[in-house]
Amino acid sequence: MGYYELEDVLADGSEVPCKFQYSMPGLGYLAGNAGKPIEKNSKLLLPLWLARVLAIVGGSEGEEIADDEEAMPFVELSRPEMFSAKVVNAIKAGAASLDLHSVNSHFYMLAIKWIALFGDAELGSVIAEMVMERSLELNGHASSVGVSAVESQASQAGSPFLLTLDESEKETYRRAHDSYRRTKRWMLEK
Amino acid sequence: MSLPDHLQSTFSPEEIQFIVENEPIKIFPRITTRQPARSGAKGGSPPIRCTLITTDDASINQLVATRSSEVALWLALLLKQQNKCSIIAPQWLTLQALDRSIQFEKTHPDRFSAMPWNWLVLAQLLFKRAPDDFHDPVHDLRSKVQDLREIRQLKVLKGLRHLNESHLQLDNLSLLEVNELRPFVLDTMDRLREIHSAANQDTIQPAPADQHGYPEPL
Repeated sequence: MGYYELEDVLADGSEVPCKFQYSMPGLGYLAGNAGKPIEKNSKLLLPLWLARVLAIVGGSEGEEIADDEEAMPFVELSRPEMFSAKVVNAIKAGAASLDLHSVNSHFYMLAIKWIALFGDAELGSVIAEMVMERSLELNGHASSVGVSAVESQASQAGSPFLLTLDESEKETYRRAHDSYRRTKRWMLEK
Repeated sequence: MSLPDHLQSTFSPEEIQFIVENEPIKIFPRITTRQPARSGAKGGSPPIRCTLITTDDASINQLVATRSSEVALWLALLLKQQNKCSIIAPQWLTLQALDRSIQFEKTHPDRFSAMPWNWLVLAQLLFKRAPDDFHDPVHDLRSKVQDLREIRQLKVLKGLRHLNESHLQLDNLSLLEVNELRPFVLDTMDRLREIHSAANQDTIQPAPADQHGYPEPL
């Protein structure tokens, strides 16, 4: 995931629930009331690009002792809605029929970041299986190609499945469909 | 970027055709380009010689009518276009050989038959550009090739269930077939690999073998 990758930037902007473990003077604008401090244990939604850093670095100044290696980080991330047990159960029940786009439009990218952050191998295996199941479905849709304008219109309209794809799946679908279509066109006309 | 988006990680079918056209193929020339030894010293217009830098030009300058010879496919197609040769179809492009391949595909559901890497492209090119040079009726050959393609597509579809984050073995899959699968397979395996490496980046003990073990052979 590159620095200049737009999808990555957009994915990093989605918010995750956090709990502050310190009182922070002057940071009230994060909670919407500028000028006031943030209280300890207050919960709020922070974009992932901010939350990820704050969950790693800790406040060693103040009451903390300087030589304490394991300083408590500023915030504690709690599990966001999209990785909740409800969603995981829905994935296990039938990944191909899940409306991933409404769960989160950058689901895979966020899942990878989340798994990397917490070393969550269990979630990893659930999502790897989900990738497989949905990919097969996706390939089926991508490989049904109409060459003439009328046919391709019909296949473009597509099934409800295409509306449930997350952004990276859409990219895969587009590239795979393009490839199948170019090949078929070459085979037929040339 | 300077290279169009759809060409950045793969070939277009036209580029595949270009690669295939570089292969040698046998032809029956209908012209003679070999100079008789005696006429060399005589006057008159000097003979026109082909001087090629990407392929062997000795064979094109030594053609004798109806004596088979081997030239690059692109050259054969150019000559064929002007009715100066007929192309000899390769051994595997006969009804008998195709039937054998189809039989093999049917009896071995777990592997692809040993077609040459360019079979689909070469068959398409010859059907289109040299349909009168086959011993067998072209429409029969066409339908056999189509049968073979469909059987192999079915196997590919079956094989995609075994995608994983490490590798895939695709013996005897031809270039055009690989090329049309490339975007899908690479994207999916890339995603699996990202998830796998994210989950296993800092675990000291190896990953559980039953979940992320070796793939079943295709």
